Amino acid sequence: MPVNPLQDGLRLEPTPGPATLVIFGASGDLTRRKLLPALYRLSRDQRLPARFSVIGVAREEFGDDGFRQQFRDSLREFAGLAGDDDVARSLRERMHYIGGDFKDPALFGRLAASIQASDGAAGVLFYLAIPPGAYPNVIEQLGAAGLSTASGAGWRRIIIEKPFGTNLQTARELNGLVHRHFDEEQVFRIDHYLGKETVQNLMVFRFANGMFEPVWNRRYIDHVQITAAETVGVERRAAYYEGAGALRDMVQNHLMQLLSLIAMEPPIAFTAESVRDRKMDALLSVQPLEPQDVVRAQYEAGWVMGAAVPGYRAEPGVDPGSRTETFVGLRMQLDSWRWAGVPFYLRTGKRLPKRTTEIAIQFRRPPLQIFKRVSQSSVAPNLLIINVQPDEGISVRFDAKLPGTRMQLAPVMMNFRYGSAFGGSVPEAYETLLLDALLGEPTLFARHDFVEASWALIAPVHARWEADTSAAVPVYEAGEWGGMEADALMTRDGRRWRTL
Amino acid sequence: MSSSPPGMLLPLGVEVPFSDIELALGRNGADERRRVPGRALTATLVVLGSHARLAEAAEAVEQLPDIGVRAILISNGTNTAPTVRVHEYSIALDGLRPDYLNNAVAALRLSSLPTVVWWRGGAPEMLDGLADLADRLIFDAEEPGAVWARAAALAERTAISDIRWARLTRWRALMAHFFDIPDVRREATSFNRLRIEGADVDAGRLYAGWLASSLRWTPDVAVDVRIRPGGASIERIELGDGEQALTLQLVPGTSCVETAVRVKGHVEASRVVSLGDQRLAVLLGEELRIRSRDLAFEHAVAGLQGVA
Repeated sequence: MPVNPLQDGLRLEPTPGPATLVIFGASGDLTRRKLLPALYRLSRDQRLPARFSVIGVAREEFGDDGFRQQFRDSLREFAGLAGDDDVARSLRERMHYIGGDFKDPALFGRLAASIQASDGAAGVLFYLAIPPGAYPNVIEQLGAAGLSTASGAGWRRIIIEKPFGTNLQTARELNGLVHRHFDEEQVFRIDHYLGKETVQNLMVFRFANGMFEPVWNRRYIDHVQITAAETVGVERRAAYYEGAGALRDMVQNHLMQLLSLIAMEPPIAFTAESVRDRKMDALLSVQPLEPQDVVRAQYEAGWVMGAAVPGYRAEPGVDPGSRTETFVGLRMQLDSWRWAGVPFYLRTGKRLPKRTTEIAIQFRRPPLQIFKRVSQSSVAPNLLIINVQPDEGISVRFDAKLPGTRMQLAPVMMNFRYGSAFGGSVPEAYETLLLDALLGEPTLFARHDFVEASWALIAPVHARWEADTSAAVPVYEAGEWGGMEADALMTRDGRRWRTL
Repeated sequence: MSSSPPGMLLPLGVEVPFSDIELALGRNGADERRRVPGRALTATLVVLGSHARLAEAAEAVEQLPDIGVRAILISNGTNTAPTVRVHEYSIALDGLRPDYLNNAVAALRLSSLPTVVWWRGGAPEMLDGLADLADRLIFDAEEPGAVWARAAALAERTAISDIRWARLTRWRALMAHFFDIPDVRREATSFNRLRIEGADVDAGRLYAGWLASSLRWTPDVAVDVRIRPGGASIERIELGDGEQALTLQLVPGTSCVETAVRVKGHVEASRVVSLGDQRLAVLLGEELRIRSRDLAFEHAVAGLQGVA
C-alpha cells in the first residue's frame, strides 16, 4: 500500500506532518506577542500535528520552565486566556528551551541533539525572530551543524522576518548566504501583511469573480491609492528605525506586496510559482522613481488619538538632528499594457491621525455627466475600497438617487466586513503564515527575486536622499496626514488623497 | 405580533401570512429595533422533519459558528395553510402537508445562492422531488436505512451527505493518521477484524462502510458493530488481526480520544487527542462549507452492503 487510501476525501483542512518548530529569539517581543499566541490558536483549532514540539532558543538562560512560564504569560496578555486550559497545558508540555550565544557552535550541537530527541524530528521549521544583524551568524551555524538539510523523508525550512537586508546589496548578500545552506523552496521570507485575510482575499476578489477583472485596467480605473497609516510613533524601535525610515520599513515590503497583488496579471493557476511570477512581473513594470515622484517628511510634536505626543527628534533613542523620514508618499507608474497612465499613489507614516491600511481604487467618471443639470450634487466617482486593517473588508461606493420627487444624487456604500459577514473570528496573520510554512506552502511568502527587485526600486531614492544633506527634511505635525509635500504630490496631478 | 406559545418554532419571531414573508424579512433591515446583524448569506438552508427535531435544528442554525444562511424550517403536518413565522433571516412553516413541500421550497429559496436541504425525517420519497431544487441534501434521519437506500439514485441528481458522516470526520482523520505510518500501511492487508462500539449502530456501520470501500475489503474481513446504549455515538474502534491493532478509544467523560498503534515494527505510546467540537451547530457548519460531491460518503454508503 504505497499511499494512504484513507486520506482521500477527508474534509479536515490539511494538517502538517510531524514537526518541530525552533524559534530563535524565543524571549523576544515577536515571540511573546505573536508567535506563542498563534501556536496556541493553531493547537486549539487542531491545525498542528499530533507529533509537534517547540524549541525556544535565546541568549537568556531561563530553561524549559522559564520558557513555559513565558508561554503562559503570553497567552494571558496577548491571547486573552485568563487561566489555563487543556490545549495550553498539552502544548506547554511539548515546549523546550535552549539558552546560549548564537555565535557558539556548541549551542547548535545542543540544538541538534534536542531536535533529534524531539517528537517531530522528521520536519524542522526554524523561525528567525531575532534582530536582522544576527541572521547571518545563525544561518551559518545552522549550515555548519548540518541542520539545514534533512535525511530521508524529513524536511528543513526557515522563516526569515523582515527586514530582509537593509538595501539592495545587503539583501543580495543575505540571499547568497541563505542559498549556500538552504534551497529557495526551504526559505520562507515572511511579510505578515500577506497573511491577512483581506490580502489573501484580493486574489479571490479579482480572479474568482468575473465582474471585476474586465474593469481592472487603465480604461476604467483613474488611479489607485494605497495607505498604511500608524498612530504610534517610533516606540522602542528607535535604534532600528533611525537606520530604516518609512521607505525601508514599510514601502519596500508591505506596500510593494499590496501593489503587486493589485497590479498583477491573472496567474495561470493558484500555485506558488505562478502567483509569485505574476507578482514579480508587476513589480518589474514599475518605472524608476524620479525625484518628483517621492516626498518624505518627519513628524513634529502634535496631538494623536487624544494625547499630546513629542516630535520624532525628541523620541528616546533618536538623534536630535535625525534626517530619518517617518512619512513617505510615492507616485508610481507601471509600464504595462494594463496600467499605462494609471498612477499608483502610496503613502505610509507614523503618528498619523488614525491607524488604517487600505487600498482605494478610484474609477473614471462616466464619459457624459447627464445629471449635471438636474442634480445639485455632483457625481462622485465610483470607488472600491479594500480595508486591510483594522476592519478587514471591502466597500464599493456608487451613486444613488435620493428618495424624493427631485433628481438628487448621493454616494452610497455597499460594505462587506469579514468581522460581521461570517461571524467567526478572523485568524491572525501569523497563524496563517506559520501553518503555511509548516505545510511547505510558499505562496504567501516573498521570493528572493521579489525582495531584490523591491530594494532595487527604492535604492535610487535613498541614494538621492543620502547625497542631499543640505535640504531640510520636511515636517508634519503629529496627528496630520503627512504635510504639504504629501498633498502637493497629488494636487499636481489634479487629485487628492482620500481623507480617511 | 402574535404571542409566543411554548413549543412554537421561532418563538421570538412574528407571525405573518405566507404572502408577506419577504415583506416581513425586509422590515427586519429597516426597523432599528429589529435590525439583524449583517451576516453575509451564503445559502438557503431548508430544514425538514418533525416539529420536535426542527426546534433542535432552529437552535443549531442560531448557533452556526461563522456562516449566514436563510433558514427555512418546515415541519411535517397536514396543513395546507400552515402557521408562518419569521425571525431575523429564518422562516418557519409549522405542519405543512408533505405534497406542498416542493412548492414552498421553490417559493422561498434564494435564487442566487445554493439551496441546501437538511433532512431530519419524513417520507423518504419526498427527497426525489427535493433533489431537483437542492444543490445538496444533508441526511439526518433517526433511522437512516431508508434514506441511504436511495442515496445512489439521489447522488445522480445532487450532492449528498449526512450529519452522521460529519460526526465521523475526526474519527476518520484519526484512523487515517495511523495509515500515514509506513509500517501500518505495510501490514494493512493482514487486518481482518474491525470492531466498533457505540450507541449509534448506524454511525458504526457507516464508518465500517468507509473502511471497506477505502481499503477495498473482501467479505472475509469480520466486521462487528456493537451497540452500547446510552453512551456516545462511537466509543471505541479497533482494527487489526488479533496480534496487531489500531485502537481509537473515547476517554470516558471527555471529548478526547486515546489512540494506540500496535503493529509489527512499530509500537507507539498511546496519545490523547481532542475530538473537537461535536455540537450539532458545528457539524452543520462543516456541512455547509462543502458544496461539491462527497465521493467518500457515497462510497461509504455503497460499502454498507458488505457490512453486516
